[in-house]
Amino acid sequence: MEAAKTCCCKRSCRFLEFLESSIGKKIMLALAGFLLCGFLIAHLAGNLFMFAGADAFNHYAEALEANPLIPLAEGGLVALFLLHIALAIRAKFANQAARPVDYEVYRGKGARTPGSRTMAMTGALILAFIIIHVATLKFEVGGLKGPDLYAHVTGWLKNPLYAGFYILAVAGVGLHLSHGVQSALQTFGAGHPRYTPMLKKLGLLFAVSIAAGFASLPIYFGWFAPNTTACCAAEEGAQ
Amino acid sequence: MNLTLKVWRQKDAKSPGGLVEYQVSGVSNDMSFLEMLDILNEELVVKGEDAICFDHDCREGICGMCALMIDGQAHGKDKAATSCQLHMRRYQDGDTITIEPFRAKAFPVVKDLVVDRSAFDRIQAAGGFVSVGTGGAVDANCLPVPKQNAEKALDAASCIGCGACVAACPNASAMLFVAAKVSQYALLPQGRPEREKRALAMRSAMDAEGFGHCSNEYECEAACPKDIKVSNIARLNREFLRASVLAE
Ligand code: FES
Repeated sequence: MEAAKTCCCKRSCRFLEFLESSIGKKIMLALAGFLLCGFLIAHLAGNLFMFAGADAFNHYAEALEANPLIPLAEGGLVALFLLHIALAIRAKFANQAARPVDYEVYRGKGARTPGSRTMAMTGALILAFIIIHVATLKFEVGGLKGPDLYAHVTGWLKNPLYAGFYILAVAGVGLHLSHGVQSALQTFGAGHPRYTPMLKKLGLLFAVSIAAGFASLPIYFGWFAPNTTACCAAEEGAQ
Repeated sequence: MNLTLKVWRQKDAKSPGGLVEYQVSGVSNDMSFLEMLDILNEELVVKGEDAICFDHDCREGICGMCALMIDGQAHGKDKAATSCQLHMRRYQDGDTITIEPFRAKAFPVVKDLVVDRSAFDRIQAAGGFVSVGTGGAVDANCLPVPKQNAEKALDAASCIGCGACVAACPNASAMLFVAAKVSQYALLPQGRPEREKRALAMRSAMDAEGFGHCSNEYECEAACPKDIKVSNIARLNREFLRASVLAE
């Protein structure tokens, strides 16, 4: 309301008011999360080329990197992540301020889900994973594991610690989405008596599919893949 | 039955409070929770101690005054019931019950279990009414209201403003209350002319009171003694978004 008094253009202050409001911030947070889900789908689809073999995956990666719009998309992605995280942290602080004295006993009536209870925790886990993931696979921190990207990725996935952390993190993504997708739908105001409950169930299916899809990579390449990159794996073991 | 109570005692808004333990004996199954507190208070008064302050009025679940956090649950263990509708037959001999006030920055403690919920009144005063003249009663068929809308509006209007939604919310958000008040008008033709103004003003008043941000945990719905649905919150989000874009 303060903004409404001081700024000169009614349209722009309504927009500022929207951004400043609890509901507006929540809608932005949900929108960023929703767009990040789009990224998850694209990223998973690309990753699944791993199952089509080294050539298919390397070609896909080269074609992707050759696209001149990729730096722009990467910038947008980082911006979405930062927006999502910043708004979530802001909401967390606002919520702590909204209840300065906590309950001695708080039990609730069973509406919260494992996903909703752990949003901050799974969020932090996902962030830690992304940092390690990008550092090792993109910026080659920890060394190059093979002559091409396929060998590099499979080389890392053969490390049980790395693969284990990968699985844990994507399980975290699934848990995060199990609350996030239906929460975003609610925030956008989806409230159709027939479609919305169905969409929320599909959201849960989406969460499970994303987690299972991503987890299939470390599980397969960590423990079940035939040893085609035997040379690198042996080197890995020797180190 | 005999019970152990741990009750939040706080002299006034400024003093620090704490849980104090009391023994209550001879509680009958037929008593309501508030009657059990009355018994304890009578004993305290006879002993010359300060009686425990708690809000109540109708004692039949329609006024929303009785705001108690009982064992960490707003209005206690029953669903769709207020504290005054909770009966002692839900407890067993030897139980320990913790009673705290509804906690939120926007609901400051006045004394013991009594909190100031006038924040709700201020939100309501910001836009929870119809100020345009709607004229005299017209022929019923002139103003068609689909039955499902009438039902939803009446469901939303059954909110008694007790504040259990805020108390139960892990974020101390007032979204369910505001959603019910916005919805009861948004669904009916009489409320339509002011729907944008109302959504913007009530949202603004809600945030100004310092309530938390809704993160769709739905504990509010589970705690609501009138069973107000969180689909109303989706409607409020929709109304606010719509108003932000369309309002002049
Ligand atoms: S005293 Fe009126 S609702 Fe409980």
